[in-house]
Amino acid sequence: MNLQRVLAIASKEWREIVRDRLFFTLAFVVPALLMLLFGYGLSLDVENIPFAVVDHDRSAASRDYAYRFIDSRYFQFRGYAGDERDAAQLIGSGAVRVVLVIPPQFGKTLAQGRPAAIQTLVDGSFPSRAMTTKGYVAAINAAFSLAAVAQAVSHASGLSQQEALAQLTPIALESRYLYNQSVSSIWSLAPKLIMVILMLSPPFLTALGVVREKENGSIFNIYASNVSRGEFLVGKLAPYVAISSVNILLLWLLAVLLYQVPFKGSLLFFLPATLVYVLCTTGIGLLVSVLVRTQVAAMIVTMVVTMIPAVLYSGLIIPIVSLGSGAHVVAQLMPAMYYTDIVVGCFLKGVGLMSLWRPLAVLAVYACLLFAAGYQLFSKRPNI
Amino acid sequence: MKAEWQLAWRRFAVMLMKELKQLGRDRVLLAFIVYAFTADIFLAASGVSLSLNHAATLVQDLDHSPQSRELLARFQQPYFRIDGTVSQDAAALAALDQGRAMLVLSVPPQFGRDLANGRPTSPAMQVDTTNSVLGFLATSHAQQIVSQYGLESAMQRLGMGAEAARSLPQVQNDIRVWYNPNQEDSWFMGIAEMLNIATVFAVLLPAAAMVREKERGTVEQLIVSPLSPLGILLPKVVSMTGVILCGVALSLFLVLIPVFAIPMKGSLLLFFTLSGLYVFTTAGLGLFAATIARNLAQAGMLSILILAPMLFLSGAWTPPEAMPGWLRGLMFASPLHYYLDIAFGILLKGQGLADLQPAILGMSGIGVLVFGAGLLLFRRQFD
Repeated sequence: MNLQRVLAIASKEWREIVRDRLFFTLAFVVPALLMLLFGYGLSLDVENIPFAVVDHDRSAASRDYAYRFIDSRYFQFRGYAGDERDAAQLIGSGAVRVVLVIPPQFGKTLAQGRPAAIQTLVDGSFPSRAMTTKGYVAAINAAFSLAAVAQAVSHASGLSQQEALAQLTPIALESRYLYNQSVSSIWSLAPKLIMVILMLSPPFLTALGVVREKENGSIFNIYASNVSRGEFLVGKLAPYVAISSVNILLLWLLAVLLYQVPFKGSLLFFLPATLVYVLCTTGIGLLVSVLVRTQVAAMIVTMVVTMIPAVLYSGLIIPIVSLGSGAHVVAQLMPAMYYTDIVVGCFLKGVGLMSLWRPLAVLAVYACLLFAAGYQLFSKRPNI
Repeated sequence: MKAEWQLAWRRFAVMLMKELKQLGRDRVLLAFIVYAFTADIFLAASGVSLSLNHAATLVQDLDHSPQSRELLARFQQPYFRIDGTVSQDAAALAALDQGRAMLVLSVPPQFGRDLANGRPTSPAMQVDTTNSVLGFLATSHAQQIVSQYGLESAMQRLGMGAEAARSLPQVQNDIRVWYNPNQEDSWFMGIAEMLNIATVFAVLLPAAAMVREKERGTVEQLIVSPLSPLGILLPKVVSMTGVILCGVALSLFLVLIPVFAIPMKGSLLLFFTLSGLYVFTTAGLGLFAATIARNLAQAGMLSILILAPMLFLSGAWTPPEAMPGWLRGLMFASPLHYYLDIAFGILLKGQGLADLQPAILGMSGIGVLVFGAGLLLFRRQFD
């Protein structure tokens, strides 16, 4: 490999990128903007769920019951509905996601010390949201129910209501949240956003850069020159890796300074590991660009190959352990999952090379394989 | 007058054929369109679940009494999956560190005796909340299990057996989930993925078709031809809309309905008409990018800038209620937000034209605006 030729190719590519000012700007603006948008917008918390109440009872107990939901920060009260038909319309139109139906005689039944029933209708078009909502409803219901039972017990036994309540709840579960003590979304989100964005932008830049030469025909200059395959690929990819390296720093700064995510690990491990990941994703771009002939195809193939797996199969939204078997295999095949371990480990857990050498090794092997495949498939004598 | 219409129609037909042929010759691209609308949707629908199930749980029982065993036995599928026991704190922490377990439950010594004597006792739970929603769900389920067990054992101790417990003024909440009674994640993920893929293609294909002409210089030929700017744009958008609708039909009839048994509750005709309208609208956004960009690389970056927020903020992955106000405002500018309501409304809820009116109006409004602006900008380029 002749260093001079590599440098010549790299500087030619660099000039081409810099002269296209819009492209050059977008190469830095897009990742930063995505980080801002998703950091503020992609909240996974289910809060302020709009709900309505159908109260057939209109007693103090039914109002008390509804009030426990109105008062909760998880629900947002949108008013009383007349009957079930109104309620059905509200859910159908998406105006509310939950309706509580309190039957007649609810208060009276409770006062007589008998169990009472309540119906809750939940919009199930978004299953995960429905699950969370069910969890909230059950928790609030349990609290109300316990208070009602405590009252009955205190009547029967003569204990005060507080004592009755204490008697009825002998076990208190002490929960300790690890890695993310305040259970705030942005801390767990921001590191993973770095993973997603570095999965999206390097392959996109690379694929477009290489296929552009193919489609414009300027690649014939390379075919006819004495530059070897390896020299061409290294020189061609170097500027894109350089741009992405600047983006690594940019994204890290945004996470630490803007979102105030604590960085517990060491930068000396994080930066090289991230560079390996960027080499990996650049390799994906290289492979795509070798396989397709037009820039449209390059754009769409990279988009489908990177964006959707980076979101769905990386542990960003769904933990890998709860993926189905088919998706589990896909997740193992993508580099995103391994880098998620690294970035989350560095930011939130403060672990280093000792416990993260395995994913790092996988990424390194992955990068080598991708480049080897790209090198093998790229031919200076294509049969068109 | 009639001849003019005929001429316009013939020009349209010729341009349409040209676009379709051009697309058809890009085999890799064509193969990928088919892949995206079938295999990719299948993978997303079959494998991805956004709910808490089978949370890997380790238990640390320092008591070994019947009570502690009874409590731990209540942590069951589908939410929890007991993977084994640990005896040391260090081992538990290591398992959490390496992601082998999501929860560690530990029951303190004397738990059974305390419970029997009515003394308060507190088992501990350590939760990996790297995913904060799942962490919250796991805690809330665990809380319910524990407090229910506590209530039952307290009732027993106070001398009120099962009989008495049944006549307590407890409130039973019967929760019914509509439209998707078993909360099949595959329905939601499959449909959402289909809409996402359609969106990706709707922005990229027409934009690319336009910029390619610019980059190669063939746009000069079009300009000197008797075609009007609309006569150039419309066939591009119409042909790509046709291709995308075919893709949607492919995924609906080959994957979603036969494999995942999605109930087709509404009218198919309405669904495809509105999908056509949606693709048309979204193509307008792509054309915006196409007028600004001078080459395909620029167009690609610009369309990522349009696409990524559209996909992330559509309300499919993150609930609109949880977003800050200004972003919720932005969501109303995204056609995908309305299309999501429309698609779920027709496919799962069986809604008709009347119920969907607000969404349709919103989408068409954006469509007219974006398409009109895009056309105006495009026309200016010719002068």
